Amino acid sequence: MKIASFQKEFKKILDRKYFSSEVNPIRKNAFEQLVRTGLPSNKWDDLRFTNFSAFNKNTFRISETKDAFAKDFDYSNIGIKNSYRLVFQNGHYQKNISCLPDEIEVLTNLQYCQRKSWNIQQPNKFPFDLLNTAFMDSGMSLILKKNKNIDLPIFLIFFTSGEHSLMVSPRIHIELGTNSSLTLFEHHLGGGHSHFSNISTFISLEDHSSLDHVRMQMDSNESINIGNVHTVQDKNSKYNFSSFGIGSNLGSVNINTSLNGKGAECHLNGLSLSQNNQHLDTHIVTKHNASDCTSTQNFKSILRDQSSGVFNGKVIVQKDAQKTDSNQSNKNLLLSDNAKINSNPQLVIHADNVKCSHGSSTGEIEPDALFYMRSRGLDEKTAKSLLINGFASETFEKINDEEIRKYVSQQFERWVDG
Amino acid sequence: MLDIKNLHVEVENKKILKGINLKINKGEVHAIMGRNGSGKSTLSNVITGKSGYDLTEGTIDYKKKSIIEWSPEDRALNGIFMSFQYPVVMPGVNNTYFLKAALNAKRKHVGEKELDSAEFLNIIKEKISELDMDMSYLKRSVNDGFSGGEKKRNEILQLLTLEPDLGILDETDSGLDIDALKIIAEGVNKCKNSKRSFLIITHYQRLLNYIEPDFVHVLIDGKIVRSGGKELALELDDKGYNWLQK
Repeated sequence: MKIASFQKEFKKILDRKYFSSEVNPIRKNAFEQLVRTGLPSNKWDDLRFTNFSAFNKNTFRISETKDAFAKDFDYSNIGIKNSYRLVFQNGHYQKNISCLPDEIEVLTNLQYCQRKSWNIQQPNKFPFDLLNTAFMDSGMSLILKKNKNIDLPIFLIFFTSGEHSLMVSPRIHIELGTNSSLTLFEHHLGGGHSHFSNISTFISLEDHSSLDHVRMQMDSNESINIGNVHTVQDKNSKYNFSSFGIGSNLGSVNINTSLNGKGAECHLNGLSLSQNNQHLDTHIVTKHNASDCTSTQNFKSILRDQSSGVFNGKVIVQKDAQKTDSNQSNKNLLLSDNAKINSNPQLVIHADNVKCSHGSSTGEIEPDALFYMRSRGLDEKTAKSLLINGFASETFEKINDEEIRKYVSQQFERWVDG
Repeated sequence: MLDIKNLHVEVENKKILKGINLKINKGEVHAIMGRNGSGKSTLSNVITGKSGYDLTEGTIDYKKKSIIEWSPEDRALNGIFMSFQYPVVMPGVNNTYFLKAALNAKRKHVGEKELDSAEFLNIIKEKISELDMDMSYLKRSVNDGFSGGEKKRNEILQLLTLEPDLGILDETDSGLDIDALKIIAEGVNKCKNSKRSFLIITHYQRLLNYIEPDFVHVLIDGKIVRSGGKELALELDDKGYNWLQK
């Protein structure tokens, strides 16, 4: 998609009457910045190895009233049962089929911006962030007050469909007050046809709060699914994020976490499964801005056919972030000679009293392991799937909620057998 | 049980086995002794069906059928088992799950009902205590973080569980202290019977003190240069291999 087409859509969104005009300067700033710095492409250093063919060959448009679903899709058999539920159809929150606990305050994105007096710092570099800010839909903000623990996961379903190439740009804010805790399960699904989902999630964790966040991306094979996650952590807060990418033609998770308070913990895990001509990316920046914080990055990819992927992981330890404990690991399993992964783990350290490590490995199924299993009577297919399971299993163990863990590993097993 | 005739094997055009003849009858225990590089491991790998070996001449018959074209799993399902010299580490692959899958594959092959987790655990509990192993082994990944001795015990646990007709022990004694060696030998001795045969491949005579062979063969440079009874092992221990070389 060319910039001229985005410009046309941008003009349309500025004219939308149901958005407060106060949001327009924020949109304009972002769009002008995008025009200056350029659309997502291989010209961006972090995106050098990303396969943009799905992005380049399609022209997307923002949704219109006629794109609303004729009737609500039945979500009762999707994902997990024991949970609260929030449904987004084509990027729009469906209140009538959602349910939330009373302890959580729900605001639209615009209400949220209003409450913050339209003075929210927007990410101003990464092109997908800029696109989300320029085109953000009404979105959703969840605010959990201090000392509240929500016992069941909040299950967010993003379902995108429609006849034409839609561009949806949900904007989600999650705020956890002091000493509160929550589990969030974000599930992306799509029905046929190409679309471009560009979701930005802003998470703020006050001191001693704890968020378990699982993102499952099973969007349709024609789609582009981009998840931008920005997390800011106060002292002793804990963020435990797991990302599972199975769907979409071009999928990308872009995670930015800032550990701003002493003793904060941030654990980022993920598994990407790609096949055919899929391309799945992971871009992470973990910033240690305070002392005594712990962070981990543990990402794996399994690639079949001629699929490809990128892991860009960066840990930045600022000068005052002494006693940082950080570990970064990227492991990739290639199941075909034509599959390709580009791995780039980086450490940038400005403090002198830190414990940081990183590593990356890419390989195939070991013939010796395969022979070992076959010599015990397991056929080649079973042996391979046991080894693939073994490679991936630790990723599932990082999910604390049992039902989510079970659901995610079922989807994985289906992929392995498929 | 096993009948190998005039077996010649090459690896990347290098001749490793140069005409092996070996016949193992039901219930017999044979030992093959030889130095490093004599072709011992090649022989066990070729019997179990590992790829990467060119069989240029000769035959391998097992239970009166040629198995040269058989896959490793077909050989295993029909009762061939090798305890690996270097058991493979498989991070993330649960030991119980693996062993249960292997046992059930075999049960399915012989037309027996597959075991559920509880039934499997009952069987395995007994075997594991015979080998003086801890139940915690089962919760770990296959051979991951196991010491040398633990890996070898895990091999024997698989042997006792899968109850093969032909058990090949490839350098099972290497890296074992005397106590572990005794435990492993006891395990093997318990499953020795008139229908089950063993092929024990070793450098040293030590293991043969505990698992008594009926026949001992000396392998030098890809050929069996001498065969005899168990006293041949003692002779080798005493004199080394040089006196047998031309």
